[in-house]
Amino acid sequence: MDVDLRPVKKLRDSAAARSALGPIMEAVCAAPADLARLRVVCDWIQYKQNFREPVVSRPVAHADNTDTDIEIAFDLRRCADIDLNAHVKEALSEEHPGLPLEPWVPGRDSCIWRFNQLYWQALSHWEMATGREYEQSLPGGESDARNTEAARELILELFRIWDELDARRALPEELYVLELGVGNGNQARTWLDEFVQLDRRHGREYYHRLRYLMGDYSPHVLERARRTVAHHAERVSALVVEATRPSVTLGFLAGKAFLVYISNVYDNLPTDELACIHGRTYQVETQSFLTEDDATQIAHRFGASRDELAKLIDRLLRIGPELLSEATPGQFPDPGQAVAFWCAIWEALRLRERYVPLEGLDSYPVTPDLTGEILRPLIEGQGDVRMHVSNGALGSFTGTLPLVHPFGRIQCHDLFLTSRRQYRTGFYGPGKYDGSVVNWVNGPLLQLVASRRGFGVEYTPFRQRPGSNITTLTAQARD
Amino acid sequence: MEPKSPVPTNTVLLPTTVVGSYSVPEWLERLKTEYYQRRISAQHLAEIHEVAIKAAVKDQELAGIDIVSDGELRRDNDVDYFLARIPGVNIPQRAKTDYFDYYETEVTRPLPEGPETSLGLAGDFRFTRQLTGKPIKFSFTGPFSLSRRIRDDAYTEPGELVRALARRLNAEARELAEAGAELLQIDEPFLAGYPEQVELAIEAVNIVTEDVPVSWALHVCYGNRYARPSWEGHYDFLFPAVKAARVDQVVLEFARKGLDDLRLIRQHGWDKWLGLGVIDVKNPEVEAAELVASRIRRALEYVPAGRLMINPDCGLRHLAPEVARQKLRAMVAGVALVRAELPGAELPGAELGGGETA
Repeated sequence: MDVDLRPVKKLRDSAAARSALGPIMEAVCAAPADLARLRVVCDWIQYKQNFREPVVSRPVAHADNTDTDIEIAFDLRRCADIDLNAHVKEALSEEHPGLPLEPWVPGRDSCIWRFNQLYWQALSHWEMATGREYEQSLPGGESDARNTEAARELILELFRIWDELDARRALPEELYVLELGVGNGNQARTWLDEFVQLDRRHGREYYHRLRYLMGDYSPHVLERARRTVAHHAERVSALVVEATRPSVTLGFLAGKAFLVYISNVYDNLPTDELACIHGRTYQVETQSFLTEDDATQIAHRFGASRDELAKLIDRLLRIGPELLSEATPGQFPDPGQAVAFWCAIWEALRLRERYVPLEGLDSYPVTPDLTGEILRPLIEGQGDVRMHVSNGALGSFTGTLPLVHPFGRIQCHDLFLTSRRQYRTGFYGPGKYDGSVVNWVNGPLLQLVASRRGFGVEYTPFRQRPGSNITTLTAQARD
Repeated sequence: MEPKSPVPTNTVLLPTTVVGSYSVPEWLERLKTEYYQRRISAQHLAEIHEVAIKAAVKDQELAGIDIVSDGELRRDNDVDYFLARIPGVNIPQRAKTDYFDYYETEVTRPLPEGPETSLGLAGDFRFTRQLTGKPIKFSFTGPFSLSRRIRDDAYTEPGELVRALARRLNAEARELAEAGAELLQIDEPFLAGYPEQVELAIEAVNIVTEDVPVSWALHVCYGNRYARPSWEGHYDFLFPAVKAARVDQVVLEFARKGLDDLRLIRQHGWDKWLGLGVIDVKNPEVEAAELVASRIRRALEYVPAGRLMINPDCGLRHLAPEVARQKLRAMVAGVALVRAELPGAELPGAELGGGETA
């Protein structure tokens, strides 16, 4: 039996975590399972809203499908006050009660991402129902967009580069800056206001050549941001951009962007997870479901039968709360009721997982342009490890790199792991942030991919909010 | 002085060639990296390279290229293959995370000089020579670009390192000529990033070419590392300094950047050969033959057909193998369209060299 204790820091910080270990082992040993085929994993799920029960099991299929091992995972944060024997027995049971919302799928295809998409598309409805703007649900209660000092540093560095290029007649007429994931527009406003001031002092009239492009997935967010920077309207364009495929909308920008600014986008994009267990590589497949109790309770609350529930959820995800209310006024007399239904489902949503053997890394598509070969240095020869593939973030990042001018840079603030070793010492998602999904981003993988494309990537602590989990990625052409 | 023809006389107009590097397949990249992480032996990698070079030459022949290259497939990148062989260049760490990464290199004392220190390029040429009856272009990175990747703690005047490298390369070029090389090309991929140093670079080029009786080409581009330009700008910086270069041809990129810089050829009275880049090597989209033809027709407004050679913008190393093959075929087809429009394009004995593999 393997035992994998991941929350290393919590084992020192938390008496509850330590005290849970003995009872966990006793419960496992008492379970009617072949201990030689059991892996025990202990996490610390820091997200109070998440997709996990305190104890879950995950089948580990063998390549020839003849046999299966079992991984049993515990959330140490929630193991202190529960009947561990009962939970272990239930987790190891071959029965899977509850209401499945989809078949087994790779993580990136899970319907949790449809919920995530709905959140950004119908953000105004969610905000109205919950009574707070999304910024308030961010850690710290606001975005990190209002720091003039950070803006000033970036702008002065741009001026230095532009002056040099201008001296060799290599400065293009239009000077592009791109922001992906614009939030409420405060970052753009802070940046542009500061730009005007500094440009006036610099005296080269770069402002008149500036093209500030705001790209976002959500038209609602984009419209709000556009209003925020209305006084720079002549310099600003707003574009709906599919975050994982920026080149579709922004292909015209190839090699032209002097600065690409991205904040809190990547952690919110679909991802798979891969694992290496005993030298074999596996894909983590997931299945969204509602527990039996939750399904019954929600169905009753909204006047639906349990059998109708899955179809109703699918309909919500397809047409959103407003149209759902119009289409089924009996159940949802107003959009607020439909949003209440959405909130209840989201809160109750759970994921079960299993490990499926991969035929080969080269046959696994990370993105349409990238095979799993890129993962080999990270996942092989390192012992047992489970990591995010960050497919959405990689698609976005690799689609953005070609947009960067040879003297340009990408600056990105997000939840990045900065070392492969961190996957052995903590839990990094998925979790729930308000109505959206959060996953930390596999920083070493982005670094590796960038390196293969001639970019150096550096990770530094987010200076504007010391102590936060946010890390700043800076990518620039190297050599 | 009349420039040496880079191809045998009695040949077709608008000969086609490559700049140097050929597509490096993903499997070869992986094996190269395995070598730099010491997981396969140098001997095995050398054998793998020979097989890959044979395939690259065959691909070029099948595409109809008139003057072929070895695809530079032995080289890890455009700099390290040379620096690792030059005595006096120190490389403290020779393992690499990825084969294409650059070494960190340094010189701490003046480079030793003398004929006993061969880089082995003549051996590389001989291997290719016995593979094909076609004319061969053999290219190597120039002294200015090589110097940009060396930390110089040896020379008080930075130009001295460039000149010392140039003397080393001159000795190598003499060996290449003795081995039968007829067309040598100096690549200066870093020069566009240091336009103020063009005179030094040209001075060094002339040291390399001195008393080496071959046809010389000089390739200057805006960089192709990772299929991205390293610099931006125009070729203005190259002129008129390049007119002092003792070379017979300049090989420039036009497909990606547009043809505006052709004006410089007329403006500065460049009366030698021009290697015209008609294939964008940074874009996987395959050009139509008619687009290639239109680029050549435009160039013919500035350069007579008798002094125009047709090539991609730069090396093909970052293109997928099938894309590289298609692009070469498109280039040859585009040339054929223009040749058909030119009187006397099909000259007696029009075949270049002896055809396919000898």
